[in-house]
Amino acid sequence: MKRNYCVSLLVLSGVFILITGCAPFVENNRIEEIAPVIFWSIDQGEEGRLSICTLVPPLVKEKKRLLTQNVHLLKEGGKLFNLIYYRELKLGQLRMLLVNEEVAKQGLNSLINTLFIDPEVSPRLYLVIIKGDFEAYIQNQLDKQPNLDYFLYRMFKHYEEKHQGEMSIVNLHTFMKNLHTPLSVPFLPVFKAGKESFTYEGTAFFRHDAMIATASGIDDQIMQLLSNDHYLRLLPIPSLSVTVGHIRSKVRIKLADSSAAVNVELYGRVEEYRGDKDILDHAEATELNDQIQTYLEKHTLELLQKMQRWKVDPLEIGRHTMTPFTKPMSDEAWLEKWQQLKFDVNYDIDIQPFVEKK
Amino acid sequence: MKAISLYNKTSAFNGIYIVFLVNRLQMLYFVLLQATFLVYPHMIWAIVAVGALSQINLILVSKCFSSELLLKGYQGYVELFGKQGVRILAGIGLLFLIVKIIVTVLGYMEMVHYFVFPSMDSNWLILSVLLLGYYVAAKGMDNTIRYVSIVFLCTFWMIGLVFPFFFPPIASIYDLFPLVPTSWTFQSWKGVLLIWSSLSGPEYLLVLLPWLGKQQKSLKYLSIGNAISVAEYLLLFIAAILFFGSHYLDKSKFPVKSMIRYLQSPIFERIDILMVSLHIFLVVFAFSIFMLMFYGGLRIVMGRSLQPGKLTGFVISLIALTAVMIILNEWIWKGYTGTNMLLELQIWLGALTYLLVPSFFLLAIKRKERLKL
Amino acid sequence: MNNHEMLSTGQTPISIDALERMLSNMTDAEIIDRHYNKDQKVTLLYIETLINPERLNESVIEPLNRGLHDSIYDAISSTKVSEISTMEEAEVALMRGCVILHDPSQSQWWSVLIESSLSRAIESSETETILYGPKDSFSEQLEQNITMIRRRLPLTTLKAERFTVGSTSKTPVVMMYIEGLTNPEFVDTARSKIIEIDFDLFLDSSHLAAFMEDHTHSVFPQYQQTDRPDTCAYALDIGKLTILVGNTPFALIAPITFFHLFQSPEDYINRWLVASFLRIIRYLSFFLSLILIPLYVALSTHHYQMIPMQILFVLLESRSKLPFSPFWEALLMLITLEIIKEASLRMPSKSGQTLGVIGGIVIGEATVSAGFSSTVLIVLVGISAIASFLVPNYLVTKSNTLIQFGFLVLSSFLGLLGIVLGIIGVLAHLNSLTSLKQPYFAPLAPFYWRGWMDVFIRGPLKYMKSRPEYLHPLQRWRYGRRR
Repeated sequence: MKRNYCVSLLVLSGVFILITGCAPFVENNRIEEIAPVIFWSIDQGEEGRLSICTLVPPLVKEKKRLLTQNVHLLKEGGKLFNLIYYRELKLGQLRMLLVNEEVAKQGLNSLINTLFIDPEVSPRLYLVIIKGDFEAYIQNQLDKQPNLDYFLYRMFKHYEEKHQGEMSIVNLHTFMKNLHTPLSVPFLPVFKAGKESFTYEGTAFFRHDAMIATASGIDDQIMQLLSNDHYLRLLPIPSLSVTVGHIRSKVRIKLADSSAAVNVELYGRVEEYRGDKDILDHAEATELNDQIQTYLEKHTLELLQKMQRWKVDPLEIGRHTMTPFTKPMSDEAWLEKWQQLKFDVNYDIDIQPFVEKK
Repeated sequence: MKAISLYNKTSAFNGIYIVFLVNRLQMLYFVLLQATFLVYPHMIWAIVAVGALSQINLILVSKCFSSELLLKGYQGYVELFGKQGVRILAGIGLLFLIVKIIVTVLGYMEMVHYFVFPSMDSNWLILSVLLLGYYVAAKGMDNTIRYVSIVFLCTFWMIGLVFPFFFPPIASIYDLFPLVPTSWTFQSWKGVLLIWSSLSGPEYLLVLLPWLGKQQKSLKYLSIGNAISVAEYLLLFIAAILFFGSHYLDKSKFPVKSMIRYLQSPIFERIDILMVSLHIFLVVFAFSIFMLMFYGGLRIVMGRSLQPGKLTGFVISLIALTAVMIILNEWIWKGYTGTNMLLELQIWLGALTYLLVPSFFLLAIKRKERLKL
Repeated sequence: MNNHEMLSTGQTPISIDALERMLSNMTDAEIIDRHYNKDQKVTLLYIETLINPERLNESVIEPLNRGLHDSIYDAISSTKVSEISTMEEAEVALMRGCVILHDPSQSQWWSVLIESSLSRAIESSETETILYGPKDSFSEQLEQNITMIRRRLPLTTLKAERFTVGSTSKTPVVMMYIEGLTNPEFVDTARSKIIEIDFDLFLDSSHLAAFMEDHTHSVFPQYQQTDRPDTCAYALDIGKLTILVGNTPFALIAPITFFHLFQSPEDYINRWLVASFLRIIRYLSFFLSLILIPLYVALSTHHYQMIPMQILFVLLESRSKLPFSPFWEALLMLITLEIIKEASLRMPSKSGQTLGVIGGIVIGEATVSAGFSSTVLIVLVGISAIASFLVPNYLVTKSNTLIQFGFLVLSSFLGLLGIVLGIIGVLAHLNSLTSLKQPYFAPLAPFYWRGWMDVFIRGPLKYMKSRPEYLHPLQRWRYGRRR
């Protein structure tokens, strides 16, 4: 009887191996044999192709190399990298996707989908729009800052966590959610890459998956205050010679048929003042307060009007039309309405005084 | 040949086991897919409504719990339906059971395959889980039922992982609007059916009655189990809507696990791999307890349920089940249409058993009682 | 009883010739003839090495010399005198340390127990050391051990049943339990198990446990071994039974659960919050010692995605030039560690320092600098080795090493999934284990939520009002006033 078991087990395992093939593992993920890349940078290549580049080896104290490929397909690039490099490149630790402005203007959908459907890639992948030549920047920095890719990642992570209010950092999931949800607009941070520098420019807005416009400077700061973070660590206003810091905002939007009232409450404190008012005096401080208020109101209105022209609504004002018991507006209907809206912007600034009132 | 004692009844189980069993069987596999089927925020009410309906059904189940006949196990069934009747019913039951086993195991292992080992042959994964399930099942019915408390403790806390999704910046109240249905389509009905089907599972407790023993307040425990499940459904679904938004939700294949993928812990960055693996606890447990039911049912069909069980029979049925599982995976599950077909089948069958089994048993018991009078 | 009856049951009547034959070739056997009251002859037989010569003089020889009484029985001033009539009885008596007296005139045989008490002083426990709390521990002397328990539980209901096991060792075994409190089912099971034992040699209580356990092929101990009388007293009080074995300081406690192996007497001495914290740390470190190395193998072989980038940095750097794959590296390091651990136990304590130097510096430092192993692994091996020692029960420490190797293999095949499957399997195994036919994983499975007060945490003593439900004690409440 015992023998019967053995025979049946043998037969079973034989059949099993025949069905499945001997080796259960196809992929080798042993970390010393792979190169888990941290970023991919995608640029416009020749003849309508994509030029993708990455830095290898990541994270190891070896001489770094910049790999570049001209390809039709994203994953084709991944394959070609493997053919020219002695470690297999893996996407499991991919943290940043840097897309050139030109590529973004043509639409990101196909690129993003490729990464979205890959179970290896984390949804916390940061998406960044690059103005200028990132490849040249990296190439130039190779010797000066060998672990540049890692430090870039740490920077993004720092500003994403706890919403530091300096940059609009967006990850793959948030972008996808905004892309698919009606009445909301996907946006991404824009960085400018020069030969020596890599600087934050502002926020890029998308219609569907194509980049439309960029808000930079004060526009971007207002954008952070009104929607993305509701917090700004520092807001310098050179024209008033003042820097306001630690600003928190509360935004109330009231929508009427053809107008929208945007009421913003700001809390913050003056961090620096180099003008000629005596801000220790209560009356003069109030005056400054009013000036800041007018300044912000003016620029916010300008930003909103720009957005109307761009036909995007990144502040998600359209979502305020939604109620629990009505059918939500369609995207088209809202955009139609959006362009006609008259705005009434009011700031209510509460900047802490420097001295106690007597 | 060595006789095996898979179906010994030595220990008594208290009511809390009913809670564990009901809840865990309801949290098995479909709950992980639910969000993709439900999609719209107004389906929150559907979950509540179907949960209430399930509660009514559980009243029927609890009525069966108090029947002496079912407590007696096979003898009781023979008294109810007659020898031939029991064999036929067991045969039908086996069909339902085997579809449930197959869909649960294959479906979950597909998820494991997708998230943990995309490049590995899924048959190996299935085999490893089956082997483990056999090991648990071989410990006997008593031990397997007792195992549920460990399974519960090891998996219940995972619901806590959805809490980050209820806070900004992920959560926005607008994602939950509109709360009332603006349109009601065939797809919505299917969602309702899926909720009902995923709540199915407590009906299998009727077969376990001889082991669970006579319970004083069975309805209370059944209700607690059901209520916990419904609460978990709601938490998961609302979290999924907040996380994806209803328009993006239907593009996700495994919504719950994708949500967990987004979370990061300081020690492991991709806790989805860990959580997908941990959920196997439940799958292994469910598989082993269904496996024991399956073998018991098979013995009834073969007319051998009164003879002492033999190792040969058990091993042969295990081997047969493994073979069926692997073949189905190879031929049907791996293809898109096949998956959908089996899934659809199980949604209907699960809903059907949950709807019909308790009332059927109750009717049979009532008829018997009337005949006696 | 008369001689005929004895013969019919296969026993030999006692005779001086037979005894002389029995004691031939035994240098320590003595057969002495003495006179009592001038005319009466007395023969004394004893084994020199087993008796106490001073007490022999005091309670046998001197009274015989003085001859103040009529009969020999009256003369002997000892309480432990009994009449014997068969050779078998005589043999047992001699080997226990009795002196056998033969009175030819009355044709009577007496045995007087004057065994030499070869024992050491009561010392503090070395296997389960605690800082505060009672320091005494069992010794090899069975009677002394019973005394220590009886001092702590002065109850007439504390029963001690005596058995003898081992055909050659004739080891005395005493089973103690509190009548009217301990579930009689346990007592019956244990009694029948002891009686059924048929084997020759029992040198330690673990030998006895091996014959009494329900599951031979399990790595988990199903009887708790302890040399602390306070642990035994506590166990008896909550409704367990204690089995003391002669010539070993380790008593057996049963039925136990898996969680008892993590409890230390010191838990009940510390403040409850501190004790709970320490206990949680203990479970955690047990878990870590099982999982840490397999996790390293799983992550570095299969799931590089899971590692946070900061750690990946370190890991990639340290693994980049190693000759072995993570699995082999871990396996070799673990085996090396086991060798060091084992050696440090076997070595005389004076050379322990040398071992520490060799083990710590040579193997730790050198393997890294020679490029055989990564620094990360060395750190993990160190942590898991230390963590494994936090479990109070040494036998568990050993068994978890074995499980760790199992997990290691699983993790190299199936990564994290393998480890989880392994955990499922181990938990299923623990769930099905029994100790003295009682579930081993109570109060988790079977689930008794009241017992949770003393499982992962140690609740305030005041609130632990009832004895554990899974032991089914006959008296449930620990308070005297509340029934």
